[in-house]
Amino acid sequence: MSIRHELVQHYPWLPSLENLYPDIASKNPNEFISDIFSNNPLEIQERILAFFKASFNNLEQIADYKIDEINIHVYLIIKILLYLLDDKSISNRIANLYSKVTYSELIKEDDAYLYDICKDLNLDILYYQIPVKYGIIITKDQQEDLYSNFRIHYTDYLRLAVNLRDEFRKLVNNPLSEGYVFIQKRNLSRLLQEFVREKFFLKDGDDKSSIEALKKNLLKIKDFSELHERILANWELKKEDFEYSIEFKSLDGSDISTNFPPCIKEILSKIQEGQNLIHNERLFIVWFLIAVNYQVDTIINLFSSMPDFNREKTAYQVNYAKKKMYTPYKCSTLKSFNLCMAKQYKDKLCLEGFLSRKLNEQKFITHPLFYVKFNQYQNFKKSNSGKPPEK
Amino acid sequence: MSENIYLKRLFQAYYKEQNSKIPIVHLHDKREFGFIPWEKPIMIRHIGFENSDEFFNYLIKNAPRHVYSSGSLYSQPGNSNINNKGYLGCDFIIDIDVDHFDTPCKVDHDFWYCKECGKEGKGLPPKKCPKCKKLKFTHISWICEKCLNIAKEEIIKLINNFLIPDFGYREKNFSIAFSGHRGYHLKVEDDRMRQLSSENRREIVDYLTGHNLSLEILGLREYSQNIYGLLKENVGWEKKIIFKLEDMLTNSTPLEIEHLLIKFGLNKNIIKSFIHSKDDFLETISKKERNLWIIPNFTLTTWKKLLSGIVKEIGAEIDKPVSVDIHRLIRYPGTLHGKTGFKVQELTLKELYTFNPLNQSDNLLDPVVFKSKNTQKLEIIEKKIPLINIKEDNFGPYIQGERIEVPHHIAVLFLCKGVAKTI
Repeated sequence: MSIRHELVQHYPWLPSLENLYPDIASKNPNEFISDIFSNNPLEIQERILAFFKASFNNLEQIADYKIDEINIHVYLIIKILLYLLDDKSISNRIANLYSKVTYSELIKEDDAYLYDICKDLNLDILYYQIPVKYGIIITKDQQEDLYSNFRIHYTDYLRLAVNLRDEFRKLVNNPLSEGYVFIQKRNLSRLLQEFVREKFFLKDGDDKSSIEALKKNLLKIKDFSELHERILANWELKKEDFEYSIEFKSLDGSDISTNFPPCIKEILSKIQEGQNLIHNERLFIVWFLIAVNYQVDTIINLFSSMPDFNREKTAYQVNYAKKKMYTPYKCSTLKSFNLCMAKQYKDKLCLEGFLSRKLNEQKFITHPLFYVKFNQYQNFKKSNSGKPPEK
Repeated sequence: MSENIYLKRLFQAYYKEQNSKIPIVHLHDKREFGFIPWEKPIMIRHIGFENSDEFFNYLIKNAPRHVYSSGSLYSQPGNSNINNKGYLGCDFIIDIDVDHFDTPCKVDHDFWYCKECGKEGKGLPPKKCPKCKKLKFTHISWICEKCLNIAKEEIIKLINNFLIPDFGYREKNFSIAFSGHRGYHLKVEDDRMRQLSSENRREIVDYLTGHNLSLEILGLREYSQNIYGLLKENVGWEKKIIFKLEDMLTNSTPLEIEHLLIKFGLNKNIIKSFIHSKDDFLETISKKERNLWIIPNFTLTTWKKLLSGIVKEIGAEIDKPVSVDIHRLIRYPGTLHGKTGFKVQELTLKELYTFNPLNQSDNLLDPVVFKSKNTQKLEIIEKKIPLINIKEDNFGPYIQGERIEVPHHIAVLFLCKGVAKTI
C-alpha cells in the first residue's frame, strides 16, 4: 500500500517511514546524528528543546507545532535522546506529550487518511465512506444516532486498548458484531495515541551496556552534546517539583509501605515515574492509602509527580474519599480491571497463599488490605518470638 | 491383580486397536503434551513429539490414565523451562464443566458426607457441617443425561450467541469435544487470537460471561425521575438483553417469571408489580426507539438488579481461569478419560446438536468404548452410588458392600471412578 509522504512527515512513527525515507531510516544512530548535527541544525534543536521543556512544564500541547520533513528528524532524535537519558520519568513525560500532540492531530485528520494510517500499522480496520449506524441514545426528548466510519477487528482493539483500563473501553461494554468493534473516530484516535505513547519506552530486551557505548560516541558531537546538556539542565530545574519524598508514615507514625501488595507497589512506581494513571488506579490507590491510615497531605503530595497534577482538584477528591471511607477494590475486582500484579511481581503470598492453621488448609489472599495485615502479623511474630499483637 | 493394572491393560488394548482413529490435532509438533500415569497421581509435562507416530507409540507403550496437549504452541514444546520453550501463541480454550455450576439434578445424584461426624446430605456440600460445624467433606459427584444436556446447551449457546454472531467465527475456526466426563471443551484456532495476552483473554471471558458489564455505559439511566432503559437497536450486549427480556415475557408463564425474579433477588411486591405490568413493558421494549421504562415501584436499583440477573442468564457458564491461562493443557481428542473410561469425543456442530454421551446411537461418535454384553462382578466400596442410565439401561442405586454383576462398560466406569473393586 502506498501512503502519502505528508502522512509520514506528520506521523513519523508510521512503518512506511522505512520505505518512503530509506536514506533516513537505514542509517544507524551514529551516522544519523553526525549527519544532522554537522549542519548546525538550529531549528531542529529548538523544536526538540521545545518538546522537552513543554513536557517538563506539564503542558499538553506544543505551540506552533509544524509538520514537515524536519518533524521526522525531531521524532527520531527525541527517541535517541530518551534512549541515552535512560530516565523513565523523562520518557513518560515525553511519551505523554508526544502522544497527546499526535491525538490532537489525528482527531483533525481526514477519515480516509486515518484509515491509511491504520492500514499502514497493519490494523484490521473496516472503513465506510458513508458512516454506518450502530445504535441510538435516547434520553427524554433527545435522540442521538450513533454513527461510525470505522470498525476495528476485536483482536486489534484488545491489543491497543490493553493499557486503557477505563470501564467504557472494556470489550463487554462495546458494540461488537461479526468480529469487529464499531468505533468512533475519537476513540480510534485515542487507541492510536496509546500506540504512539508506547513507542518511547525501552523494551525489556534492550541492552543497557549498549546505551553507554552509544552515549560515549554521540556526546563527542559538540552540538548534540550541548543539546543533551541543555535538556539535562532543564530537567534539573524542574525535577524537584515532581520528586516526591514521602515518608510513608501513617497517622500513628508507623511505616507500613514495605508490607504493601504488588498491585499497590506497581501504582506507586508508576506515580514515581510520572506515568499517568487510569481512573480505577487513582481511585484504588487513594482508597487504599486512606484505609491504611495515611495522612491526606501525604496522599496529595504523592500525586504531585503526575503529568496532570492539579493540587486543588486532588485535594478535593482525596478529602471526599476520606469522608466517604470507601473500601478499596478486592483482589477479584483488581484482576478483572487487569490491575493485579501478582504474576508480574512473582509475589509468593499472592500466588501461593498461606497455610491457615485454624482450617489446616491453604488459603488465598482475597483483599489487598488483608495482605498488609498478614505481613504486619508475620513481621510482628518474627520480632516478638511468636506472641501475637494485642487485639 | 489391582484395578489400576487391569484398567491400564484395557486402555493399552484400546490404544493398540484404535490409534488410527485418534485425530491428529493441528500443529501437533508444536504442542506440549502431558500425561497422568496409573501408577501415581502426578502430571508428567513438557513432552513434545516430532510426529504423530511417536505420540501413538507413547500411548500404546504407557497407556496413561489421562492424556493432555497444550492450547499453546512452542518452538521447543519438550523444553521444561518455560522461558526456553519458545512460546508462539495459544489457542483460545473454553471449558464447560457441570462441576463448576449448579444444576437442578445435582440433588438427585450428588451427595456429601462430613469427614468428621459422618452427617450426609444431597447435592453440593454446605460451607459448614450442619451437625458438627466442621468444614471438611467428601463430595461424591455423579453424571446424568440432564446435567450433560445442560453443559451441551451452554456450549451451543456460546457458539450461536457469541462466537459466531459477535466474534465472527465460523465452524472451521473451532473444534468441539465431549470431555469424556462432565462437560465439553471448545478450542478456537485463529492466528490473530493466538497472539492475545492473558489480559486480552480476560476481556473475551468478560464478554462471554457478561462479567464487568456496565448497565449505565450501555444506556440505563435515570433522568428527571424517569428511567430510560436499553434499546434493541443497539449492537452488542444491549440487544442481547432486550431479546432475552422479550423472550422471557413472551414465552414464560407468570409462575416461571416469578421463580426467575426470586432467583435474581427481587422482593415479592416488586415481582407482583412486574408481572402486573409485563404486557405494557413488553410493548415498550418491542418497539423501536422507545426506552421510557415505567413499572410502579421500580427504581434504578431495581432495574439494575433485574437486568444483572438477565445478564447472568445470557452469559455462558465457562471455567474462566482455563480460558485466561495461556499454558493450560486440555484433554487430547480420541484418548480415554481415566475417571470414566469414556473417549474424549470430537464433534462437529451438527453432531453436537443430537449428541447424547451416555446413550449415543451413532457408533462412531460413541464415547462409551468398552461397551459389551459380557458382565463383570464387582463389590461397591463407596458409601453409595446413585442411579445411572447408560445405553438405555438403569444401574444402581447401590450401597457399600453390595456385590453386583454389571456389563463391562459399567464395570470400567465404576472402577475408573474408584467406587468399586473387582471380585
